[in-house]
Amino acid sequence: MNLLGPLGVTLTVFVSAVVAVLVLWRLGRANRTASASERVPFSGGLSPSVHAWSRYHARYYVMSLLFLAFDMEMVYMYPWAVVFISEGPIAMVEMGMFIAILLLGILYAWREGAFEWA
Amino acid sequence: MSEFPSPQLAVIVIGAVMVAAVYLVTVLERLVGSVVAGTPWQLRHGLAFPLRAAALLLVQRRGTTERPDAAGWASAPALLTALAAVALAMVPLGARLAAADPKTGFVVFSAAIAFVMIAVYLHGWSSNSALALHGAYRYAAQALSFQIPFLLATLATALPARSLSIVDIVTAQQPLWNVVRQPLGLPLYLIAGLAVSFWGPLNLPDAADLAGGTSVQDSGVARLLWKGARAALLVAVAAMGAAAFLGGWWGPWLPGPIWTVLKTLILLLVLIAAGHLLPRVRIQRFVVVAWVVLIPLALANIFVSGALLLL
Amino acid sequence: MAGRGIRVGLRQALAQLAAGAPVPVFAVAGAGARERVADLRLSREIELVDEPAAAQLLLIGGLVPDVLSAPLAAVHDAMPGPRCTVFWPLGASTMPALMVPHAVRIPDSEDPVAIIVQAQRAVLTGIRASDPPLLPDVDPNPWRGIGPYGQGGSGMTGGTPYGRPMAELGPDRDGLRLDLLPLAIGPFFPRFPTGLIVEVTMAGDLVVEAAIAGSPFAALGADATARRGLQPFLRALSEPVSIAELEVARARDHLRWAAGTLLTQGLRALAARVLRLARSATPAEASAVASLTRHLELVRVPQWSGAGIGCLDRGLLAGLGVGPIGRAAGLAEDARTEDPSYMALGFEPVVMHGGDAAARWRLRMAEAVQSLELAGRAGARRTRTTGLVESPRGRLAAGDAPFERLRPLLATLLANLEWGDAVTTIVSLDLDLEEAGLVSSSRVGAEAA
Repeated sequence: MNLLGPLGVTLTVFVSAVVAVLVLWRLGRANRTASASERVPFSGGLSPSVHAWSRYHARYYVMSLLFLAFDMEMVYMYPWAVVFISEGPIAMVEMGMFIAILLLGILYAWREGAFEWA
Repeated sequence: MSEFPSPQLAVIVIGAVMVAAVYLVTVLERLVGSVVAGTPWQLRHGLAFPLRAAALLLVQRRGTTERPDAAGWASAPALLTALAAVALAMVPLGARLAAADPKTGFVVFSAAIAFVMIAVYLHGWSSNSALALHGAYRYAAQALSFQIPFLLATLATALPARSLSIVDIVTAQQPLWNVVRQPLGLPLYLIAGLAVSFWGPLNLPDAADLAGGTSVQDSGVARLLWKGARAALLVAVAAMGAAAFLGGWWGPWLPGPIWTVLKTLILLLVLIAAGHLLPRVRIQRFVVVAWVVLIPLALANIFVSGALLLL
Repeated sequence: MAGRGIRVGLRQALAQLAAGAPVPVFAVAGAGARERVADLRLSREIELVDEPAAAQLLLIGGLVPDVLSAPLAAVHDAMPGPRCTVFWPLGASTMPALMVPHAVRIPDSEDPVAIIVQAQRAVLTGIRASDPPLLPDVDPNPWRGIGPYGQGGSGMTGGTPYGRPMAELGPDRDGLRLDLLPLAIGPFFPRFPTGLIVEVTMAGDLVVEAAIAGSPFAALGADATARRGLQPFLRALSEPVSIAELEVARARDHLRWAAGTLLTQGLRALAARVLRLARSATPAEASAVASLTRHLELVRVPQWSGAGIGCLDRGLLAGLGVGPIGRAAGLAEDARTEDPSYMALGFEPVVMHGGDAAARWRLRMAEAVQSLELAGRAGARRTRTTGLVESPRGRLAAGDAPFERLRPLLATLLANLEWGDAVTTIVSLDLDLEEAGLVSSSRVGAEAA
């Protein structure tokens, strides 16, 4: 057992990895005097006429809303998984009802074509 | 508690494991590629290849584009590597050998997987290149779709353990591995795992139809670090699969940590072989399959295996 | 001082180590070089990469028309360096204008791989200086606008930040107004044939508009005549050619196309396997091709990326003579049926239904097997010269190539496709701009007469 506790160790691992990669990035050779022609983004040899950064049309927005609903469901399922055996069938039935309603949501979204955009 | 005595040791071990893992993935990737292509593979060249390729990228200069988001470009591989490191740190090597074993280990792992989307998106965004940007948005759609089935498939392994600690999850597999207890779990995990680590048929953000996608502008050390981060993530996914489904350190004759490594290797080989054999999946096909097939199957997996536990 | 010495030593050690790695090459295949350049993929010492950012060596094979020299120079400059250029003439008399005068030249008689590796070593170890940029260091757009990033004017689209304007808003079919991103792909986009320029307007990942430019090989001039003699299908326009030779060439062409399709699907190793078969396919290997086709079908190769993608209706294609594309849509159009020598062999065109990218894959693979079998039975038979030839891409005549007949269909075909599907569609059409240029650049018919 150490002073930081397991989450502290996890955080240390995270920060060390970030720092290590950034240091390597910094140490690597870079073309710091790239000319204009060396900076053109590649799309086959022709120059782009506009910036790539744009108000991009993420056409899967309906799906991403559905994701929000399911992500909340995931949050409930973490503690549920721990107490599942001790609570017994009641936990199963309660979560089952909740999930069934959400699944109907998927079917509805599918019928409405939320998962296809082209 | 089953932990390393000091955080320094944990950092050193995780770092060493990751370097070795990236090396191994590169060797295996080329070995399996040679087998599939039907070309001979020489041990000496095969083992030296990762070092030579890395040296080449270190000699190469890192280029830039017109007004990139320079901070974002550097942070993307850093974030992805760190997330892979965190995910890997959650996997116990042996019963008394884990870099970190928080009671909420599974939650930490899923948080790391959720943030992968940020790293890939940032990578595609920061070079200000159209092909890279398309890859970034493609991965966003992919990530929103794989997240739920991936976590549901893994969460099912917490039911028999009555705990979210990965060490507990592995311990609970002593009588019976989860791959038997929940036969749907591992296939679902591996399919979603390919999506998580954007590998092979689900390498959509860095796909060939985008000429490299989010990494189309990467050169030199930038390319090296991004490739390394991707390989580390693949290993993290394989290692967690070995712990959650293949019984981690349990096994006869050999010491526990060796079993963990062997099982990770097997899953790694499966993932890499899938990458060489299966064609790229269309993004919309993947989204539909993830929502309409994988999520219901993952839920069925949880409820059926749960019901069996209660009997 | 000591630190400096260590750094120099380290750099030399790295360079030594790096010299053993496969050379990352960005290859541009001009006229007459497509097959030879693609075959480099089979070499262990070379890695053909998709993006110039990953490359250290630009390989220019064959004849690249002068109209493409500016994009070629742009690709050269996009390599991060240390970099060098290698020119592999393969019969071309000149290198495109604007290219480095001191490029390494591969004599036609020598092994290209050895020279490429040698050039790379020379650059890595500093014996040879890295190429300077070819294009002038001028910002693409004069900076204007107000504010620290030039974002001024009204809204984001007011100025030209960082030297390029922002994309403009446009209406979309779902009622939202978001940016329409114009994108010019080509002429050296790795998935497309050399010279293909596709100008698309993207709304999100959807192609809303697409325009395909004509063949840059149309203006080849003197070199074109010599090239035509090397191409069996072009030769068959003006003289009788052995059917066995023609059909083996067709099978190989289809297999090479299949290798390109596998690359698009991210299957480099399988592509190498198919390419090796394509390079040496003989009538004896018909069954090997058939069994490979079955294996690829098993791992869902045409199905996952091509089913339902890029559908062309048979009504649209009737009379167009676009070979495999028409036959994959249920049309039995084949110029070979008009040749008595083929009919004597009992030739019957393969026809499939569906008209999508998957059907085209299946048709070409079936045709590759059929062609190898035909070649095995053909003996010494020769074609009859009618001025019409069925090339692997369709009906070929003087001044009339399948690419030009397909081109008007492409804008509607690509509209509303997701980008990956659009690439799958273009690849599935097997466009050949070189063939189009060679038949149009001078009067083949006149030479025959």
